[in-house]
Amino acid sequence: MNIIKTIIVEDEKPARDLIRTYLEGFSKLELIGEYDNGFDGLKAINELKPDAIFLDVQMPKLTGFELLEVLDHLPEVIFTTAYDQYAIHAFEQNAVDYLLKPFSKERFGEAIGKLELRIESHVESKNTETGIDRIRQHLADRDEKLHRVVIKKSGKIHVISTGDINFLEAQDDYVMIYTDEGKYLKQQTMKYFENHLDPQQFVRVHRSYIANITCIERIEPYEKTNFILILKDGNKVPVSRNGMQVLKENLDF
Amino acid sequence: MSHPITGNRRSVLIYSIVWLITSALQGFMYWYFLHFPLPVVITDALFSNLLFGFMGLLAWYPTRYIPFHRQSPLYSILAHVVAGLMVLSIWVLLTMGILDILFSNQSDYIEFLDGSLAWRAILGGLIYLVLVLIYYLVSNNQKLQERAQQEERLKNLVRDTELNMLKSQINPHFLFNSLNSIASLTMSNPDEARDMIIRLSDFLRYSLKHRENEFVPLNEEMGRMKDYLAIEKIRFGEKLQYVFNINGECEDFPVPTMIFQPLFENAIRHSVYESVAPVTIRFDCNSDNGFMKAVVSNDYDPQMPTKKGTGVGLQNVMQRIELSYQDKGSVQWRSDDGVFAVTIIFPPIFTKR
Repeated sequence: MNIIKTIIVEDEKPARDLIRTYLEGFSKLELIGEYDNGFDGLKAINELKPDAIFLDVQMPKLTGFELLEVLDHLPEVIFTTAYDQYAIHAFEQNAVDYLLKPFSKERFGEAIGKLELRIESHVESKNTETGIDRIRQHLADRDEKLHRVVIKKSGKIHVISTGDINFLEAQDDYVMIYTDEGKYLKQQTMKYFENHLDPQQFVRVHRSYIANITCIERIEPYEKTNFILILKDGNKVPVSRNGMQVLKENLDF
Repeated sequence: MSHPITGNRRSVLIYSIVWLITSALQGFMYWYFLHFPLPVVITDALFSNLLFGFMGLLAWYPTRYIPFHRQSPLYSILAHVVAGLMVLSIWVLLTMGILDILFSNQSDYIEFLDGSLAWRAILGGLIYLVLVLIYYLVSNNQKLQERAQQEERLKNLVRDTELNMLKSQINPHFLFNSLNSIASLTMSNPDEARDMIIRLSDFLRYSLKHRENEFVPLNEEMGRMKDYLAIEKIRFGEKLQYVFNINGECEDFPVPTMIFQPLFENAIRHSVYESVAPVTIRFDCNSDNGFMKAVVSNDYDPQMPTKKGTGVGLQNVMQRIELSYQDKGSVQWRSDDGVFAVTIIFPPIFTKR
């Protein structure tokens, strides 16, 4: 069996030290990089294409989850986390393993055993599915509210605060996100944004549009029965009859 | 409290139907037994009943605003008698006066009408009494429901407060991450690991002692906060810097236990967590005319979109300062130029609640 190349993405030095020390006991695994934040980790994973990553959830710049969202190369994932009741469910089903800090060398060994098994079975069955897609799905199903959105645009990673979003527009399997700085395409559903953006601020005004109500300049009638939003940035957003109903409730008029 | 009848559409409908049926019954009797002509019968029945129906609605207001006093039932009864007599006399005078004018040419009927004064008044009085009794029942019922709702609200409030208190205690993230750091140190630096276990124990013991109204000298509080920051520093290394600048006069100043912990925790969560560059957390403390002014501040990257905190930590500190000093102390925060600072003013003399 080939050597398994791994990367550690973890912001705390002692935690990295611990994993590195534990890894020394496993000859099949080779550590090819250590990164202390999500941005550097993301870049390295896409460049070095490791077979597996040890991934912390809470990190500066980009969390472990956000990193998974925008990754091109999909390695196996072993999560390391202190305490996250939402995430554990997702880990249990789809990640190779999740290690709750602090973890023992024996527990770490179990995870490595599972990792070797999973990689071996993938090689034999030529099955490239890594479970990451399903982890992504699980993350999308969580009912936690979004406070920022991570987007890849021409090779660069943009982290956009949800408050900076003016409106969103459906485009087939993608959603176009409009901000004062420009527009960004994100592979995601309107339903997802409708469920995960703060409903006090974002309203689904149309089948294809979600508007940030703090960005509305005025509402004008449009054709016979419809309305259209004029946003502060000058953009126009159509409003469906249902959307008008929801707007009325939200803006109280 | 809304009117039990006009308050909702269904009771208005039922009330109107009851009065229409009464009108129909009265009309039928006048026509069948007394053989008055139909226009007279219909006008009398509709006019007297509907007017009474309308005035009966007004009977709610004396019921609502003359509460039944257990101590002086005579007063309430008297008030109702007066109100009732007013309603009745207006009703009797209006109906009889107008019917008299309308049908002055029907001498049979006028004679009957003039003779009906007594029983109209008695019947009206009885119906009025029944209405008042019904209103009392409804109003009592509403009061009971309102009280139950109020109790429910109070219960929720108490539960929320307790929940916030729990939340303000040691964050499990902190505990597990610290233990993980210590586990790592046991291999690389066993001496430091031992030192950290002792600091963690001291801090945890102190936090268990934490009661809403307990006071300790500032020195002791800051000693434990240094433990807390030292433990976090193993995790974050150079990223976390802290500077304490405490005026010697302040060292014995009594402060509520763990009052600064949420502020340091916030500083770490909102700046150190999100930063890759070193972050400095400052604690400055000075005394002025017997008051003590303490400032916890940290720098942060204003460009970085971060999790909006729930504000539980800061709210908790504000609540506790208010509980401890009423309006004599104060908590203020400001955020500008990449610096977030919370200032607490402690008054010279404080009274424990």
